[in-house]
Amino acid sequence: MMPHTKLVVVALAALGLAACSSLGAGEYGYSSYAFVPVRRVNVGDNSLSVVPPRPWNRHRSILWSDVEDVEDWTLNGPYLDGISFVSGLKGGRYLIRQSKRASQQVPKFRSDMTPPEIVAMLESLYRIKGGAVDFRTLSLQPRAFLGTGGFQLDYEHLDSDELWRKGRAVGAVINGQLYLILYDAARSHYYAAALPDFESIVGSAQLRR
Amino acid sequence: MSCPKCVALSRRSLLVGGGVAAASLTIGMAEARVLPKDMVPLVGPGYRPTEKDEQGIWQLMDRAEEEISGSNLLIQDPKLTGYLRDLIGKVGGPAARDFRIYLAHIPDFNAMMFPTGFAVVFSGLLLRMRNEAQLAGVIAHESGHFLRRHMIRSWRDERRKTDIFAVAAMAAGVGGAAGGVYLGDYVQLAQLGTILSLFQYSRAMEAEADAIGAKNLAAAGYQPMEMSTIWEQLIGEEDASARYRRKHRRRGSLFDTHPSDQSRMVDLRADAAEVTEAGKTYEIGRERYLSMIAPIRSMLLDDQVKLNDPGASQYLIETLAKDGWNGQLRFYEGEVWRLRNRHGDDARAALSYAAAVAYPDAPADAWRWHGISLMKAGRTAEAKSAFTRYLTMKPDAADAAWVRQAIG
Repeated sequence: MMPHTKLVVVALAALGLAACSSLGAGEYGYSSYAFVPVRRVNVGDNSLSVVPPRPWNRHRSILWSDVEDVEDWTLNGPYLDGISFVSGLKGGRYLIRQSKRASQQVPKFRSDMTPPEIVAMLESLYRIKGGAVDFRTLSLQPRAFLGTGGFQLDYEHLDSDELWRKGRAVGAVINGQLYLILYDAARSHYYAAALPDFESIVGSAQLRR
Repeated sequence: MSCPKCVALSRRSLLVGGGVAAASLTIGMAEARVLPKDMVPLVGPGYRPTEKDEQGIWQLMDRAEEEISGSNLLIQDPKLTGYLRDLIGKVGGPAARDFRIYLAHIPDFNAMMFPTGFAVVFSGLLLRMRNEAQLAGVIAHESGHFLRRHMIRSWRDERRKTDIFAVAAMAAGVGGAAGGVYLGDYVQLAQLGTILSLFQYSRAMEAEADAIGAKNLAAAGYQPMEMSTIWEQLIGEEDASARYRRKHRRRGSLFDTHPSDQSRMVDLRADAAEVTEAGKTYEIGRERYLSMIAPIRSMLLDDQVKLNDPGASQYLIETLAKDGWNGQLRFYEGEVWRLRNRHGDDARAALSYAAAVAYPDAPADAWRWHGISLMKAGRTAEAKSAFTRYLTMKPDAADAAWVRQAIG
């Protein structure tokens, strides 16, 4: 039924711009990349620190600022791999900036969310902002993080660019705030290639007291 | 958070910009209702183009089809794709045997016909159809575009009027798709959608497709009135979605090539009345349709509900529930509230989950969320038994380790 072809395509294009609020779209000059050295560095709003095992690249948007508590890194560019840090997202806040009037909205974080609810929030993020048409939770299990009882989520998703990506998120809610380190990469080759980096970064994570 | 596809989508917006600009110059004609009886097919079985420009388009579209048919966004289930093929075989008029039809896993209400006679149906369409007559109606409408040669007619029309826009956009779109040029990580199917937007249908053409569609639908023995019901459902969904976000649904804008909603619905009803023969019975095919999509219905509901568009999702679920509530629909009703996540929504969700698990067809996930709701409400013992039920139904659940920990 043709009623929507054009509407849908235009809507998707508009979404792209909105979604770019969170990405360093490098080749368009909207973002800056910064070198991350191999030593302890503060991430997000600086309440979390980690040590990367080799140099990574931090990317930040210039025209649209990301939420303060979230920071993105990449090794081979955001299409292929990336690590996102969520450093103490407070209840009632969102992982990304979004228009209150957008039809589709990434749910807000609430302090009393259980791990399955956090997983659902992440899944909606991928479906709404990442254009995932398929998202599979591979496993959700308890895992210690930042010295407390947290969780580990493993997942994979098929995006509208026809590429399967795979991810792992390790997180915990501490004093009602969400701390999360999330790794997402092309499923073939890239995921396995930088997974040890991710694990080393997660292992090095410390809260700033 | 990282979003790998933003760059590509920006590129797409450039392409779409060209297409829309081209289209905007061709609309605005006054219209009288197109009568189904006047709608004779302009192509016969085994149609092949004889003129140069159309042959060129067919060549490009053959490449496009090659790419689409190999896309991993397609749902390949032979039962479902065979079902779609059977339907287009029934309502496709003289070209019925020539059509190809693909099912794409994309949660939008959409279907499209390409100039060479292959159609792409989005999975979101299957979620929204309540019976076989509705699905057949959409397919009949799309087939109508091919039978009336709308793509080549609109292409010729536009090229005359908007040479620059159309040719530039066409070169950008088709160059990427057919030449194998890497235009960023950009969904191939949607890219072809962009190309399609160059073949804008005028309001008159939409009316023609409705009219010939109604005729072919009724000839195949389906209730033609269902076509106007689809339209009603679509308008209802868009209104509901907009209302939630305090917006107005776009209507009758300059770029809207479709007949205004009300007049189209009225025309579709008139079409249906015209093609209905007294004394003949027309089928709806609800049972057959529901059993056909049963294996993927929860996936379709997942795809929709997790987009967190509560107005649209709630409207859809209530529309589907007109044919009867069940555990699956109650569960997804709860999911809509939970994801909406406004004050009091957790209690609403909890009620839906509790209602869902009372049905014999309650999905395992309903028991899990029922358990989580109970746990958060401090009803630990009941939560444990709900979790246990969940694990019994789904012993290899991906989150079994977490659930076992929650049981303690």
